[in-house]
Amino acid sequence: MMHITQIQAADETSVKAPTRRALAKQQTRAKVLAAARRLFSEQGYEGATIRDIASAAGMSTGAVFANFTDKSDLFREIMLTDMGALAEAMSEASAQGNGPQDGLLRVFVAGYRFYQTQLPLARAAFSVGWSPVDGPALRSAPQVQSMLGVITDLLRKGEESGELTAGAASELRAQMLFDAYLSNFDQAIFQGWTMDALEARANDQIAILLAGARKS
Amino acid sequence: MDGAAATPAAAPLKVAPPPNLRQTQKEATRNRVIEAAKELFDTQGYQGTTIREIAAHAGVSVGSVFTTFASKYEVLSQVMQDRLDGLYGELDRVMPHLRGSTVDRLRTMFAIHFAFEVRHKRLFLAYIASAFDWTLPSSSIPIGRNARLQEIISDCLRKGMAEGDVDAGVDPDEIKDLLMAAYVWVYRLAAWHDADAKAMTEVMDRQIALIAAGFAPKG
Repeated sequence: MMHITQIQAADETSVKAPTRRALAKQQTRAKVLAAARRLFSEQGYEGATIRDIASAAGMSTGAVFANFTDKSDLFREIMLTDMGALAEAMSEASAQGNGPQDGLLRVFVAGYRFYQTQLPLARAAFSVGWSPVDGPALRSAPQVQSMLGVITDLLRKGEESGELTAGAASELRAQMLFDAYLSNFDQAIFQGWTMDALEARANDQIAILLAGARKS
Repeated sequence: MDGAAATPAAAPLKVAPPPNLRQTQKEATRNRVIEAAKELFDTQGYQGTTIREIAAHAGVSVGSVFTTFASKYEVLSQVMQDRLDGLYGELDRVMPHLRGSTVDRLRTMFAIHFAFEVRHKRLFLAYIASAFDWTLPSSSIPIGRNARLQEIISDCLRKGMAEGDVDAGVDPDEIKDLLMAAYVWVYRLAAWHDADAKAMTEVMDRQIALIAAGFAPKG
């Protein structure tokens, strides 16, 4: 009885003490994810096979499939974990901003810093982002939506403070800012731009995209 | 300059030599492969088409496809290049005659683009996705960094600066990149929501207007 009560209590607070099996499963997942992260970085999304990932993690392909339905499931998990962490970093960065221009710049820079040391993975994410199925799934993921939300909030605050005019274009402006942010990864990935160069470019882009909402 | 002057001297104009049989055959194989690939990519998509199928459809051996193209991506790249040559030929003819403001000219240019590209939407999407692929030779030109399109946009902006409807203080490169980012977004719409050329043009027009607020001359 006591045993059951404990489980019920744990369920209520949702901090279930993991069983040994659950723990082992978690460790397996972590090992697969670490190996996958490395192989996606080295060989790209198309280049890395489940077989390679399994062997790098020191397990059978069966054991990988017991934890992930397929390669795209595995990749999505890595991406979404990263993007969740990035959305948080962006939100913190935006809180330190002084006005919409500065706030947006801090948000952009937080993103470039985050991927600075893992550009190959970012490149793989862009490739997947164009797939007809995974692309829209990635864009509508809550993690990505909360990045867009950080931008939207900065625009709204600018409107509330009177620095920006409110208007029908706000939603479009937020989306365009996000896409401008994304587009600079091209420069970072393919042309090796430095953080300073990315920041300078982002600063100008933000100014251009905000210009229409500035009171003249 | 020296190089430019030396070239004609080093290679004086000659009457074209009779075509070498092997070259002609190679050219014929190449054309057949490209025609077959165009059809298969359009109907089955890029990912869903194998080199083996392309070879069978073209009526050539798999080996001879590989003697002409290093990879499937190179076939795609060539197919796209052929199509884009047609588009840019059209734009080169049209652009100098376009009237109206810089915004109007940009809108018309993109509208022509979408009307052309939407017919091969799936292929363009495959092409864009492949741009981020690792295994590409460095010589391949991904669509997002399409130099011809970027040149046309830059020319348009410079003309606007000369005519005074683009602020002389802005960096045309930055405006161009924003327009390219907007253009890429329109492609996502096309891919995900099956937008047609008209819908794509409408979204692009709104984006151009928003960017234009940032390049309009001040005062």
